[in-house]
Amino acid sequence: MSVIDSPQDIAREVETPPGLLRRLVRQRQAKIGIALTGVVVLLAVLGPLLLPWATGYTSTQFAGRPFQADGLFGTDNLGRDVLSRFLDGGLRLLIYAALATLLGMVLGGLTGMVAAYQGGWVDSIIMRANDVMLALPQLVFALLAITVLGPQGWVLVVVIGITHAPRIARVTRSATVEVITEDFIRAAEMYAVPKWKILVKDVLPNITGPLMVELGLRMTYSIGAVASLSFLGLGMQPPTADWGLMINENRIALVVQPWGVILPVLAIAVLTVGTNLITDSLARASANVNVGATK
Amino acid sequence: MEPATSSRLRLPDTSALQLTRRRLLGTGLALGLGGFLAACSGGQPDVLASPEGPPQSGGTLRVGLSGGGAADSLDAHSPVSTTDIARVVNLYESLLYRDENYELQPLLAVSATPSADALVWTVDLRKGVTFHDGRPLTGRDVAATFKRITDPDDPKTGASSLSVLDEVAVINDHRVEFRLNTAAATFDDSLGQYALGIVPEDYDPATPIGTGPFKYQSFTPGRSSLFVRNENYWRDNEPYLDELSILNFDDDDALINALLSTQVDAVGQIPLALLEVIDADPRISILNSETGMWMPFTMRVDKPPFDDNRVRQAFRLAVDREQMIEQVLSGNGSIGNDLYSPFDPGYASKLPQRVQDIARAKELLADAGYPDGLSVELVTAPIQAGAVEAAQVFAQQAAAAGIDVKIRRVDTTTFFGDGYLQWDFAQDFWYTRNFLPQVNNSSLPTAPYNETHWDHPEFNELVAQAKGTLDPDKRNELIAAAQEIEYNEGGYIIWGHPNQADAYQQYVAGLVPNRTGLALSGFEFRRVWLGGDLS
Repeated sequence: MSVIDSPQDIAREVETPPGLLRRLVRQRQAKIGIALTGVVVLLAVLGPLLLPWATGYTSTQFAGRPFQADGLFGTDNLGRDVLSRFLDGGLRLLIYAALATLLGMVLGGLTGMVAAYQGGWVDSIIMRANDVMLALPQLVFALLAITVLGPQGWVLVVVIGITHAPRIARVTRSATVEVITEDFIRAAEMYAVPKWKILVKDVLPNITGPLMVELGLRMTYSIGAVASLSFLGLGMQPPTADWGLMINENRIALVVQPWGVILPVLAIAVLTVGTNLITDSLARASANVNVGATK
Repeated sequence: MEPATSSRLRLPDTSALQLTRRRLLGTGLALGLGGFLAACSGGQPDVLASPEGPPQSGGTLRVGLSGGGAADSLDAHSPVSTTDIARVVNLYESLLYRDENYELQPLLAVSATPSADALVWTVDLRKGVTFHDGRPLTGRDVAATFKRITDPDDPKTGASSLSVLDEVAVINDHRVEFRLNTAAATFDDSLGQYALGIVPEDYDPATPIGTGPFKYQSFTPGRSSLFVRNENYWRDNEPYLDELSILNFDDDDALINALLSTQVDAVGQIPLALLEVIDADPRISILNSETGMWMPFTMRVDKPPFDDNRVRQAFRLAVDREQMIEQVLSGNGSIGNDLYSPFDPGYASKLPQRVQDIARAKELLADAGYPDGLSVELVTAPIQAGAVEAAQVFAQQAAAAGIDVKIRRVDTTTFFGDGYLQWDFAQDFWYTRNFLPQVNNSSLPTAPYNETHWDHPEFNELVAQAKGTLDPDKRNELIAAAQEIEYNEGGYIIWGHPNQADAYQQYVAGLVPNRTGLALSGFEFRRVWLGGDLS
């Protein structure tokens, strides 16, 4: 086509297909996912603000004897109001999971891109180190670190973030390898653009698709990991209200006063299903992009 | 007097770490099954009449207990887990034992008499007692038993309290002398431990033979045991049961489910928080026993800030004991006065009950140099039901006095690991014991579990005197005086004594509340019988 002297044609050709986000929200699955996640996130974020106004108790106040039917959902193993504990117990889980995911993304993304872009022995060293990390079961590694360093919030975040990093690095590397053979990278190199700039400005925008999918996936895992560690007594420390901890504290009364377990289990389940649905849709959306972009 | 039936026992609740997928699945299954079984039981009468009238013979009692594992054993002298204890006390019998009122009673002995200097204790044996294989019990068996327990190369559970024992001399078939190296006015208490069952001279744990009401039939460690009635048991009529089956359960969920679905007839040690809801089931009876067990907070008296007695007293005054009992034990316990051994005849019951006094606590802290309060770390672990819970309640209560308690929850293995007995501020759990045996374990510079690092010259002197005093009144005065020192300066915060709660089907009879802290009437199943239709 005679592109050169026809500005209108140029404009049309440059027009990008609908953005990743827009294609994401178009899918019904994504809508459901966003709704589910939204409900739980809202609950977790607004919950602490509602106390003690909504239930009459703070999350650590005693409302009666243990495992009684007082209040909407009864009392927990120490006689605290289950609903208050529930409302107050989600925010930390979300924040920790988000921070851990973010950390994993930054670490994994960086190492993956560097490995792919540098190639050679740098690539080998990074990726073999990665393999070693991958060989360690995630939860066991987390247990070990937390036992040694103590169950503080930052340890939780760092440990989960670090265990995510190798998986993210792999995905990032393979995505990057495809991009760096493109001509525009060569061009940038010829203009002596600094490497970091190439990575950030040219490579990164072209691998957002797979990275977003990874982000969603890792977020789901982070939620699971933080909740599991709290459940095992290695995450949030009592008397903090926390969904994972609640499950552990109240499971002895599962048969007789189940709300203390059911509420947090439901919330965590809905949350992970929601983020998973979004991730799934994201993967589909980003696959479309790649198809469109490469053909 | 003397006491202690229970050797120190720690039933590790490692549930936090052992919670595996299998267990999670198990919980889910149990929940589903529970509902299913409940639905199926609709056609049966919900309430069986409680048995009345004279005891009936026959039937099998199925007892469920949690704890234990592959290391379970029937060795008379090494019971560790609850399940071990339940089995051992039904196969073997000691010379003396603690009855349900925590009083020392003769069992295989008919009497135990000290010499004037309390250095020799003469024990007369019961006549006509035979072992499960038909051989009669003699003084030689007693001597051999104690030789086995105190074997320097392989001391058994009961050995620590027998350190004063030099030798057991056989006087004749029915009389032995315990010769001691130190005067021990309460040595009979040491003989009353359940881990001192008398066994034949040629005892081999592989063929577990004793004089107990039940005889060994089969046993799988960590799973179950089946014992049958000892036809030649020395008490008339007892035992009433034909068979005794003791089953291990991995956790409380499974245990309670088994009870509610009538897979077992009685379960020991149910969580106190669940007591009311289980009691609401018309088919189930609850056995709620007052005990002398205690779950203290331990302050190290040799480390700041607790080396200052004002700080220790302030901490003790910060506790609302009533609330502790309500929240941690669901009201099933008796209030503590920072003293252990409530059943000891010398117990200092005249000391005023300590109650929460935040103003006084603040004053004491200010005097001690903490006008703005202070921050401490409290190490806790699920060492016993309610331990982590108690730590949380304490943290809340102490905040009012300006004490910022940071809870550090570790797992049980870590708790009893290298840091054990070294934590500045932690918790522990003890079974019922009388004062002198307890002090030997926890409150002397020589005690193996002196977790508060308590070493008070005047206290030590009073204890030493009491140990050598045969006159009970004098001894009790000395004990009360020693307790007063601990009341005023000690490192323990003893807020209460939890009850021991068991549950059983209504058709089970013969179980009575028992103060020893052992479950299900101290596992005295010889007295148990089953009512209703046994077919």
